[in-house]
Amino acid sequence: MKRFFAVTLGILTAIGGFVDIGDLVANALVGSRFGLSLAWVVVVGVVGICLFAEMAGRVAAVSGRPVFDLVRERLGPRAGLLNLAASFGINLLTLAAEIGGAALALELATGIDYLLWVPAVGLVAWLVMWRVKFETMERVFGLAGLALVVFLVAFFALGPDYGELGRQLVHNPSDDGAATYWFYAVALLGAAMTPYEVFFFSSGGVEERWTRRDLGVMRANVFVGFPLGGLLSIAIAACAATVFLPQMIEVDTLGQMVLPAGLAFGQIGLALVIFGVFAATFGATLETALSSGYSISQYFGWQWGKYVRPREAARFHATLLVSTIVAVALILTTIDPIKVTEYSLVLSAAALPLTYLPVLMIANDPDYMGDRVNGRLSNTLGTFYMILLLVVAVAAIPLMLATKAGQ
Amino acid sequence: MTGRVLHAHLHLLDRQVVRADGRLLCKVDDLEIEWGEVPYVTAILAGPLALGPRVGGVIGRLMTGVTRLFRPEEDPAPPRVPMSLVGEIGSAVTVGGDVPEASLERWVREHLVDPLPGSGGRDPGLRGPRPVRRSEVPARDRLSSLVGRRVVDRDGADVGQVADVRLTQDGPLLGETTQALRLSGLVVVPRHTGQLFGYERGPGGNSPALVRAVIRRLHRGSRFVGWEQIGDPGDPIRLIEPRAALLPLHELFTRDDASASA
Amino acid sequence: MRRVVLVLLLVVAGCASPAWDDADYGRKAGATAEAAASSVALVRLAVENEAKLTRPYLQTLLTETVTALDSVDSQFGAVQPPSRQAVEVRAEITELTSEAAEQVQVLLNEVRLREIRDPEKAVADLAELGDRLRAFAEEQPS
Repeated sequence: MKRFFAVTLGILTAIGGFVDIGDLVANALVGSRFGLSLAWVVVVGVVGICLFAEMAGRVAAVSGRPVFDLVRERLGPRAGLLNLAASFGINLLTLAAEIGGAALALELATGIDYLLWVPAVGLVAWLVMWRVKFETMERVFGLAGLALVVFLVAFFALGPDYGELGRQLVHNPSDDGAATYWFYAVALLGAAMTPYEVFFFSSGGVEERWTRRDLGVMRANVFVGFPLGGLLSIAIAACAATVFLPQMIEVDTLGQMVLPAGLAFGQIGLALVIFGVFAATFGATLETALSSGYSISQYFGWQWGKYVRPREAARFHATLLVSTIVAVALILTTIDPIKVTEYSLVLSAAALPLTYLPVLMIANDPDYMGDRVNGRLSNTLGTFYMILLLVVAVAAIPLMLATKAGQ
Repeated sequence: MTGRVLHAHLHLLDRQVVRADGRLLCKVDDLEIEWGEVPYVTAILAGPLALGPRVGGVIGRLMTGVTRLFRPEEDPAPPRVPMSLVGEIGSAVTVGGDVPEASLERWVREHLVDPLPGSGGRDPGLRGPRPVRRSEVPARDRLSSLVGRRVVDRDGADVGQVADVRLTQDGPLLGETTQALRLSGLVVVPRHTGQLFGYERGPGGNSPALVRAVIRRLHRGSRFVGWEQIGDPGDPIRLIEPRAALLPLHELFTRDDASASA
Repeated sequence: MRRVVLVLLLVVAGCASPAWDDADYGRKAGATAEAAASSVALVRLAVENEAKLTRPYLQTLLTETVTALDSVDSQFGAVQPPSRQAVEVRAEITELTSEAAEQVQVLLNEVRLREIRDPEKAVADLAELGDRLRAFAEEQPS
């Protein structure tokens, strides 16, 4: 019974933790412009993140080594450092976007300008990382993020035209060019497979001291929780496709993106969705900030983690503090957080192979894994995804320049 | 009796160093070697002064340069962890004994973390004593300096460059029971073929066939040089045998497998 | 490394557009009208369902829209119209967008004070303005 409870709790946390500002923005934008014609990308992305998160989780459980340890060990100090610079930069951009998203949600709830909320969000996030236990932190914000299920319910309540949505699955309703379509495909893939998710997932496994015995729970979280999180993403797109697409409205602010929940359930729906957006983005603020500390500490071999007291992981906590300050400063320049999100998605997509190649290699190394090396299915899929991610990485930046970031 | 065989790059360098109680200490940024009767590994080197030269380029020079600036000594050396303290070598390297922590960690703790509210740093009982700086050990060669060196055979013909160093645990006794890791051979690749990922050695489980095939193809023509085949371990490394006498890397493996199953 | 920089420079240089001609100008005006029509349609949707939404939310939504519509003026002010015809295009689009900005601003003031006085009229006005923006966008070369 207790075990069942633990598994359920883990799955719920995974669902709530899956959606962040990137998923929100990308799916709402795409839904309003391309309907459901890009839903297949979310499916591809969810399968990918399940595949690699399972590998990273397995490596963490069996060998106790998180992802950036593997990056440094397999790529060596020089390529590892380049990888660190890229990952850290993108992570910082994502962190800024999440802080901006949380502040925007507070603006929607109160009507007070988001810029005034930004420092408060940064401060509270740092306090949580400084004082709150890892498990408590992960659980509370993961479960709170479940409020976003309102998108799924709202979709059915809005009385959508199922025939039209079904047609969109195979036929692109937009008259934008192919380059724009593929640009958003790349952004959606970046949203579903954001590298920080595996940094955080595998480091979290070490924080919670997973062992071989936890492999079952870990797999349940990944294989049930993430796909349901992906379903939420598609629901966001479907809501946008139902409400905005027929009116030819292209959403570009967070306020517009949550409107469908309000239309479906009135003020309660609106309050729930804003709460959900806040919980999801604030939770992701913590995850990205911690990931910046994890990646740099794991590259240099510093003591990291919340399982020791802050003074025993001084450099790690210093990194958290500095990253949070830099991200807050970036958002305070009044740069549009939604734009920051879009760029961070595309850059994430471009950096995907950097993270996933070492994971794939170590998951096959009997030195680390003993008898828990990858099976044939993981390897076949893993190879397929490596090729896909390489193509995406090469195409991402040119597509961004060619479409002027999707305009 | 033959000792355990490791490859320096594949099994040791860049791995996490962990204390006996599970706390993380540093990375294996480099290894220190002693050229005795038989050459062997004496210590793990850590920190930017060890990592910088391996990173190379502007960034590497910056790393060492900045560190030198903040170290009071005339010619600072990287912190070392003697191999006699090393216990298990697995997915991490475990060390016992009392190894002082990095000075940057201490500095950040004292100047940034402890003053913050809630860190518990004001409690004087928690403050450990300042570590005593160990007596300077004369600078020795680093293992990474071997990597990348050109190798020429008896007749001066080019063989390639060193990609990895093979270590066998049958060197002189360190402490009471552990034997040192002796340098027992070199993995030589024909040209700059990039990173070795371990696929070129060993059957590699059921690794993705495509990745393995690509990497093996990149490294075809790689050779193994036994330490006894080396005449002068200078730069370039001179062998006492002709190129043709060297064992191709993959053959070494089939041989190892055969001896392992025998 | 140096090669990468060179390639990047070339790419960037390729993206920066040279002097605008009439067609470019028209396209840009059409895209702007589309974006403005989209904003107006969204506000209409929100006003129609005013009772279901909270005041801080409406306020934020309308403020964002006013800011977005206002920025159109400065965008077009930065580019010299290439011909007399383009001057006319500019006059038309800026008039339409500032009309939209004005309407939304009025609604915003009403929301700030209490609530929207005559939602039905506001919806009708917004719909009519939206149609004009779409029609203008249709006229422009695509």
